[in-house]
Amino acid sequence: MEQPKVILSLMFFTMAFAFYAMTTLCYIGNWVFRKDWMGQTATIMSYIATFAMTMILIFRAAESGHAPFSNLYESMVLFIWCLNVGYLWMEYKYKIKVMGVFVMGIALLSMLAASLLPYRFKSVEPLNPALQSKWKWMINLFEPAGLQNYAIGWLDFHVFTTFVGYAAFAISFGVAIMYLLKVRNEEKGGGNFLVERFPKARILDELGYRGIIWGFPFLSIGIVTGAVWANYAWGTYWSWDPKETWSLITWFIYAAYLHARVTRGWRGKKAAYIAILGFLAIIFLYWGVSFILPGLHAYA
Amino acid sequence: MTDKKAANSGAIRAVWKLLASVKLTIFILIALAAVSIIGTFVEQNKPIETYYQAYGQKWADIIMFLKFDSMYNSEWFSVMMLMLLVNIVACTYERFPSKWRSLLKKDKSFDPSMIDRLSTRRSFTLGKNTADTKSHILAVLKKKRYKFQEFKAGDGTVSIFAWKGLIGRFGSDITHVSLFVIILGAVIGSYWGYKDFRAVIVGETIRVPDVDFHLRLDKFWMEYYPSGQIKQYNSMLTVVEDGKDVLNKHIWVNEPLFHKGVRFYQSSYGTAWNMVEEIEISLKNIKTNEVSKSVNIKWGGSAEIPGTEYVARLSGYVSDFAFDEDSRTVYSKSGEVKNPAVQIDIYKEGDLISRPWLFFNFPGLIQAIPKTDHDLILTGFRNLPYSGLSITKDPGTNIVWIGSGIMGVGFYLAFFVFYKRIMVRIKPGSDAEVGIAGVINKNQLGFEKEFRILVETITGIEEDYDDDLEGP
Repeated sequence: MEQPKVILSLMFFTMAFAFYAMTTLCYIGNWVFRKDWMGQTATIMSYIATFAMTMILIFRAAESGHAPFSNLYESMVLFIWCLNVGYLWMEYKYKIKVMGVFVMGIALLSMLAASLLPYRFKSVEPLNPALQSKWKWMINLFEPAGLQNYAIGWLDFHVFTTFVGYAAFAISFGVAIMYLLKVRNEEKGGGNFLVERFPKARILDELGYRGIIWGFPFLSIGIVTGAVWANYAWGTYWSWDPKETWSLITWFIYAAYLHARVTRGWRGKKAAYIAILGFLAIIFLYWGVSFILPGLHAYA
Repeated sequence: MTDKKAANSGAIRAVWKLLASVKLTIFILIALAAVSIIGTFVEQNKPIETYYQAYGQKWADIIMFLKFDSMYNSEWFSVMMLMLLVNIVACTYERFPSKWRSLLKKDKSFDPSMIDRLSTRRSFTLGKNTADTKSHILAVLKKKRYKFQEFKAGDGTVSIFAWKGLIGRFGSDITHVSLFVIILGAVIGSYWGYKDFRAVIVGETIRVPDVDFHLRLDKFWMEYYPSGQIKQYNSMLTVVEDGKDVLNKHIWVNEPLFHKGVRFYQSSYGTAWNMVEEIEISLKNIKTNEVSKSVNIKWGGSAEIPGTEYVARLSGYVSDFAFDEDSRTVYSKSGEVKNPAVQIDIYKEGDLISRPWLFFNFPGLIQAIPKTDHDLILTGFRNLPYSGLSITKDPGTNIVWIGSGIMGVGFYLAFFVFYKRIMVRIKPGSDAEVGIAGVINKNQLGFEKEFRILVETITGIEEDYDDDLEGP
């Protein structure tokens, strides 16, 4: 007897996967062939993919009875969801569809990574004692309506803010690559017609910075709420666990980026390299620490 | 002499310039990021042997020498953090006073010709005279919540300086202050705080370090999911002051007890290795192999063995039996139940006649009552669960939270409140010519749009603009 909600969430995953593949292709098509209909199709598909990801989160929550942020697979779904929502918001605001090639490309790769996860990282498991952290005031508030199981706590807040941060950094990573390609192309005096279709270097630099000024505070809130939760669960707000240390490492790197951007000789290319380095550190913080290094965060 | 002094002061100035440079900040931040990696690969705060086993003599010596085994508490890591703080202080000392003066100066007059040198600028006429043009523009600026000052030059030229979001310029300074507060909290915690662990058995009262109260564990229990996984573990704690119960609290993982600056956390659980709740023993006749009815004995209690004149008292337990030859004592090799054994004192008519150890896994190993036909066998025992309590006192925690809150304010101001300046010059005349320019130091893209809308509101004419940010 397989639970129907799990089957539904798997169905939506497959659907989202297909749509991420198609939307990436359409963004590439729009970029290479400059066909407006391709760009419009890409955007629509991106919305549908977001919808499918939302449904996965909802069905996962319904199945487990808690916020769907408790294992690596669910956190990947959350990451991709944040990335996609962030991208669509940027597309709406700045109308730069070339960015979709890179950002949706990252989303597609993340989908692939999530689908390749071994089963034990995907299954809906009850929460272990340390993960059960709910705000009492919220439980009390929801109790009259019988919804107390849906109360959230520091853990959910910690995971959500962290992943908003990761998604913003992912966008700035994509933009930083575009920036470097653009600048290199300009230095060579042009020549690559695809890169010439990128926005001006100045705009890319600004957009990368916009990504980081969202990512940095959210990462910081994620670290602080994680510390608050750790203080409840482990009795200490900071224990230099590898995950904590790596979050601080990424924090240092992005702090360096922010300072580089206001320093002559460091803004532009060097800052873009720091943004790329920062996201590589995020990948290690997210996956590397979980798989390679031992520690308290071993479960996700 | 003076040359030397000059050279000295030159050197000092060079050092100061380095200390107060943002390039040094970038360097320290990247260096901190790089060295912090080491401690995530080299496990921290393990016994020395661990490193010799894992890395071998040569590398372990290097790890010990460089303190990589506890690097985040090492002097050199603290020095790096301190360098960052010194750098922040130097940068602030160097830049903050002039920034403060220029931002908060009362007189905001400026050179109107600056407008022609800025890239975000427009010029137009409203078909009105200077005074009417001015009042129209001021009305729009007021509506957009700009503060402003107006100036009149000798030739009748009117200029306006308007600004908003000034406080955003202090976001970075507030963030820097918050770092100091957080680090202060961490330092206070490491000097005046402690962290302790106790395995407490139900009914036991423990002394809490450094404070004037005791703590008693009244109850410990586990909850399970239907699948058998552990859902939660719970302790019922009572705070005892001067022999009186003053506070009662149910704690579980994520729900600590807080009393007089000390926190008690449910951190683990296990079974006691040196105590047992109850045992079950039986008498066995080694001739006939007959086993009589079993009898239960509670910890510290005794019982008559039915059908005999023996009285058995339960006097010891180890969960993993081991014997130390030198001190001739029995101890538990580990906290696990691997080779459980109990010690029984056997009395006959009030005289202690034997003190055998009974092994659960090896019944009959040593005859319990020598020179008779009788032996005792341990047929069962009930473990005593303990509740693992972490006890911490960290007077710096709240300071860290305050610092984090200040950091939140700092980030909000630094990243989301932009200092926007609008400069306007209105030339004298009946069809007054207006030059307007805007300056922002962050979020240039957003500001250009905002500036365009501002100008459109003033002129009432929609601009024909190119909002396609994509390349050619």
